Amino acid sequence: MIDLPSRKKVIREFQKKGGKIAAVLPIRYPRELFRAFGFLPVEVWGPPHADVTLGGSHLQSYTCDIVRNAVSFLLSGGLDRTDLILVPHTCDSLQGMGSVLLDFVHPKQKVLTLYHPRGVRKADFDFLTEELKRLCGELSDWTGGEPPPGAFWEAIYREETADRALARLYRDRELLGLSDREFYRIVRSREFLPAEDFIENEKKLARREKRSTSGVPILLSGIVPEPMDLFDEIETMGARVVADDLACGTRRLYKSGHSEDPFVRMAERLFSAPPDPTRGSPISERADHLKNLIRKSGAKGVLIYDVKFCEPELFDVPLLRKKLEAEGTPVNYVEFEMGKILSQQTLTRIEAFIEMIG
Amino acid sequence: MKALAALGIDVGSSTCKIVGVDESGELIWHLLEQADPRAEDQVQRFLKAAEQKFGPLKAVPFVATGYGRKLVKDAAKNITEISCHAKGVYHELQKPGTLVDIGGQDSKVIVIGAGGRVVDFAMNDKCAAGTGRFLENTAGRLHVPLEALGKTALSADREETISSTCTVFAESEIISLVAHGVAVEPILKGLHRSLVSRIVAMIRSVGLVSPLMLSGGVARNEAMRKLLEEETGEKVHLPQYPQLMGAYGAALIGLKNG
Ligand code: SF4
Repeated sequence: MIDLPSRKKVIREFQKKGGKIAAVLPIRYPRELFRAFGFLPVEVWGPPHADVTLGGSHLQSYTCDIVRNAVSFLLSGGLDRTDLILVPHTCDSLQGMGSVLLDFVHPKQKVLTLYHPRGVRKADFDFLTEELKRLCGELSDWTGGEPPPGAFWEAIYREETADRALARLYRDRELLGLSDREFYRIVRSREFLPAEDFIENEKKLARREKRSTSGVPILLSGIVPEPMDLFDEIETMGARVVADDLACGTRRLYKSGHSEDPFVRMAERLFSAPPDPTRGSPISERADHLKNLIRKSGAKGVLIYDVKFCEPELFDVPLLRKKLEAEGTPVNYVEFEMGKILSQQTLTRIEAFIEMIG
Repeated sequence: MKALAALGIDVGSSTCKIVGVDESGELIWHLLEQADPRAEDQVQRFLKAAEQKFGPLKAVPFVATGYGRKLVKDAAKNITEISCHAKGVYHELQKPGTLVDIGGQDSKVIVIGAGGRVVDFAMNDKCAAGTGRFLENTAGRLHVPLEALGKTALSADREETISSTCTVFAESEIISLVAHGVAVEPILKGLHRSLVSRIVAMIRSVGLVSPLMLSGGVARNEAMRKLLEEETGEKVHLPQYPQLMGAYGAALIGLKNG
């Protein structure tokens, strides 16, 4: 088993080497751009231990926990060791967070935003490319310089290698001899480990015999599987996760780009990810993608595990459910609040679903 | 006395029930009490009572369900109340269909398929509105005994609309109606209607498969049955012991799995 360092430790070590830290909100952003400027992007997926009243005073009561907890974490000093904060405009909640930080909270860190298009047309692609150039310009203005020669391409190739390593992990998940919790700890270390460390870790993971197939196979969909105890609970209930459609998981399986222009190449990579509600992917595309995952993995049901008040996800659920159920795949939707423990009610719904499809 | 073949216990939020079945799956014994905060002690008391009645329980399969099912250390298995209710009601009514179970702290709609298999379900476990607690609260406020709630509501010749979807706000709405001199009966009828409309929304979310069946403590309330029939246009079927269906289903699962 790989000994993964904590986020705190990774930050300390990176800073010791003279690096800077960028706190990044979900979901999509160009990691390579930050690395080229000497920043390590460390993602903030709504840390569960924050005092949520702090964020609550700046946000509407119907804001999702990822944003509420992130603002609370920031206000309680949790991001004090970071140098800048990137808020991609993934959804209305994050867009709101960007404005709240810039207009009201004024954190000591530099706050940058990244607008994402809501489609995959040529115009959307061009828009994203321009956005990446704008972000690069802002980083350059703020840091007072350009990345050293070659640093940009070096970072691009390294991130592409790390993404290929991530794809291999998914391909070989049944051969790794890992529990679901261990597997997702490794997958999610991509949120804070430097790409080079992630690549090394993937190489260290030995491939073994296919894991025993006991347990009801399920596909997990949603934003983030928090708390990670969820996986232990699912295992105790007699099921296992054989595939995912998670924003922190396969929805970020980026392919390598082709262009010789670094900005176009980064845009190509971000555009290569599977369908995702926060990108405005049509339901039919999402349904087809999920059907494909179900067929390949042998999942007997789909558990949609969503953060409360996550609008992009919620809008898709009824139709997605209808389409998958029409093809004979049972779907269960569970909403959770990001806290330290999983509620008994949440667990009962999941368990009943597993009993139902088992 | 018939021989005990399996036991099922339902550790619910309002009540705790234990059921014994014979070899054929017939319900031959039960106990029902208000839920004790010390669930483990209550379970032990129930098991002792079963032992006194039927002798040593060592070889008797014992399955637990309900929100406190994981606290029942003696149980060979614990199964969710969704699966157990489906199994119990199917066995008793001998037909697939849609089961509405309104408990003290949650309510659920379960589409039951052949053999008592769960086909789909919806659950309200987050909000007191739509559960037995909603009625209990108001019964207390209006000084109407819980058992008389349904009858009193049905005796109304008109109905007040309760527009709040939240138990707490509904309570203030009711207080305000009482303060305006509105009689208790139409308020109660409106209150039942509001609870039923929430249940009907849940039924729609899974799709109604006839017949419609009702279980849980609230099934004893005749206004709930009547209004549910009015709102869905379906006849409501009731098992003989609506409150025991979870424990009964657990016992049947124990019986099947030996
Ligand atoms: S959980 Fe949903 S609403 Fe919240 S930040 Fe993520 S995508 Fe946006």
